[in-house]
Amino acid sequence: MVFDYFPPVAITMAGRRAANNQIRGPQSALTDFLASNNISAAQISADYERRQREARQQQEQEAAANGESTNQNNDEEGRVETAAQKKKRKRQQEKTLAKIKASNGSKRQKKRKDEDSDGENDDVAWDMYTKKKPLPGQLENCENCEKRFTVTAYSKTGPDGGLLCTKCSKEQEDQKKKDQKSKQQAVSRDKRRHVQSNLLDGIVQIGSKSLQELCIKVLFFIDAVNSLHAERSNSVQEVANNIHEVDEFGDLPQSLLNRLSKILSRRRVITSRTLDLFLRPDLESIDIYDCGKLETEDYVRLFSVVPKVQNLNLRNAGQFKDEVLEYVIERDVPIRYLQLEAANLVSNGKWAEFFEKCGHRLESLKLSWLDYSMDDDTFMDLIRHCPNIRRLKMKKCFRLGDVALGAITGLRQLEHLSLRLPTATTPDVLADLISSVGPGLRTLSLEGFSDADDNVLSTIHSSCTQLSKLRFTENDYCTDAGFASLFTGWSNPALAFIDLSSNRSVDYAIPDGPEDPLGLASGGFEALMGHSGSRLERLDISSCRHITYESFSKVFNGKEQYPVLKDINISFLTKIDTSVVAGMFRSCPELTKVTAFGCFNVIEVAVPKGVALIGVPNAQDSIVQEGDLDADVWQSLTM
Amino acid sequence: MAASSSPYVTLISNDGFEFIISRDAACVAGTIKKMLDPNSLFAEAISGRCTLGMINGVVLEKVCEYLYYNLKHKGEKDVPDMEIPPELCLELLMAADFLHV
Repeated sequence: MVFDYFPPVAITMAGRRAANNQIRGPQSALTDFLASNNISAAQISADYERRQREARQQQEQEAAANGESTNQNNDEEGRVETAAQKKKRKRQQEKTLAKIKASNGSKRQKKRKDEDSDGENDDVAWDMYTKKKPLPGQLENCENCEKRFTVTAYSKTGPDGGLLCTKCSKEQEDQKKKDQKSKQQAVSRDKRRHVQSNLLDGIVQIGSKSLQELCIKVLFFIDAVNSLHAERSNSVQEVANNIHEVDEFGDLPQSLLNRLSKILSRRRVITSRTLDLFLRPDLESIDIYDCGKLETEDYVRLFSVVPKVQNLNLRNAGQFKDEVLEYVIERDVPIRYLQLEAANLVSNGKWAEFFEKCGHRLESLKLSWLDYSMDDDTFMDLIRHCPNIRRLKMKKCFRLGDVALGAITGLRQLEHLSLRLPTATTPDVLADLISSVGPGLRTLSLEGFSDADDNVLSTIHSSCTQLSKLRFTENDYCTDAGFASLFTGWSNPALAFIDLSSNRSVDYAIPDGPEDPLGLASGGFEALMGHSGSRLERLDISSCRHITYESFSKVFNGKEQYPVLKDINISFLTKIDTSVVAGMFRSCPELTKVTAFGCFNVIEVAVPKGVALIGVPNAQDSIVQEGDLDADVWQSLTM
Repeated sequence: MAASSSPYVTLISNDGFEFIISRDAACVAGTIKKMLDPNSLFAEAISGRCTLGMINGVVLEKVCEYLYYNLKHKGEKDVPDMEIPPELCLELLMAADFLHV
């Protein structure tokens, strides 16, 4: 509790003070002061007298009761008590005590009643009387059990402000301690939860958080307990607590603005108001990761406040309409890097106009989740008017097909290509595209091209010579031999990023796959690691279920080193067991994150410090190895 | 030369407050570490005094507190968070960004 209990008496007194402003004769300083607080010395002495009188009466009564019992005791002295007599005596004692208690209680009530009937003035006096704590040594009735007891310096205050007897004090203290303990437990539980949640994000905290983290945490009020609350109450107010008190971010650097934008977006609190925090006339880059709550006017305002924006990244931008693009064309906003997600309300005609007017400037275009506009014809306009595009990403654009795929060959400057087209495409068109743009490509990402065949892989092998990132996923057509030949004798230098997830046979009739393995299997995997192992940083081979156990043990044998490999995803590779993972820890000294969902044979593996092992069901309380694995532990793990 | 080997360094805020803290703590901050690198021959490295022109005394005090807090909890797990007053956090955030902490 922050607020002190302030008796309502004070308020009435203050009111009366104003009314009783009279002129009086000379008084002592104390009386004067007391009078100014509406405390009358006469009242105090009257109260004192009354208290004394009452206390005397009480004492007499008690003395009488005690006297009785002492007499009894004296009578009994010198006699040998039988059990029955003892019982009787006890009963009598209890009776006497009950009598005293009852008389005390009724007297107190009576007293209270008397005071009440005496009118307002006495009411105030009564309140003052109860507020005043008896001094140590005085007698007082316990607030909880009404028992009479001697006040000591250790007597505790009860819930209503009265004093408690020793027994009740103790009970109250115990209760307090209990509450505190359960609260502590709750906090530690939340903390554990938070650690697990961080672990799922691949964050393993060693040492203190960075000062930036701490500040951001304060800014967004994120802590274990609060985020839990927020999840429960789902209240935006609570989530972005302090952010609503921020008027502007000032000169925060771009990188931090981006971080803050990510956090606010994740918490879904980017609104017209919070958007303003990210708008500054001098900015050249704007990233908003959730525009779900922004209206068309907000986008127009964005461009009017930040007219020089070159890098625009708006996700979930459903209300990004024709008018907005019209404004961009009109004002000639110098956009060079454009990323839009779900901007479905921009018509084909407006896109064409935009490409025609502003296309020459575009260097990077990333569009995703367009199921209404952006058809093959509009895409041809894009190719025609945007010759400088170096980075193209088209994901989930439902109306693009073979025609668009073939047209991409027109982009002569292309360095980064990322495609995921929901419509079926012809493998030959894809192969032609790669052979045409392949030599210039630095990154290539082909997701869900389920019809692509070994021919596509061999085209990649022959055309691409400077890739650093390759993604080729969700395919059950390419063979292991195809993958093996891709990585064997490839003139492309070692890659830093490889994602070949979900390249496997999906024929339920043959659960182990055909004789000649489909998808990425042992041959391809070993060739891959042989080719790129020295420079590989991230590897995703999840669901490539035809890779054999022998192949894993061979690749991650603990002697072979992958010096920069940081992040591996081995989810749903059920053949992987504890010793393979242990070997992985040994083979990859820089490892920070291993994602292993559905790897049921990984049990109680010793996780080195600083590595996040995610998704292993049996390793809930993973054993964290301090320092390096020593030889003995290694032996026992690989047994 | 004596200053560059002293175990203490001085951080000076833009409003003239001086904070004398241990060199180890100061070097938690990447920027200060570079300033104090004896091989750099920066004036700061020679004199052992870093003037931080964009950070005021209140913020710098908190920064110093953090540097010691960080040093104290180095390599520990489940470190309790340091208290940061909300009204300081934006300024502190910028200072943290500048100092690389």
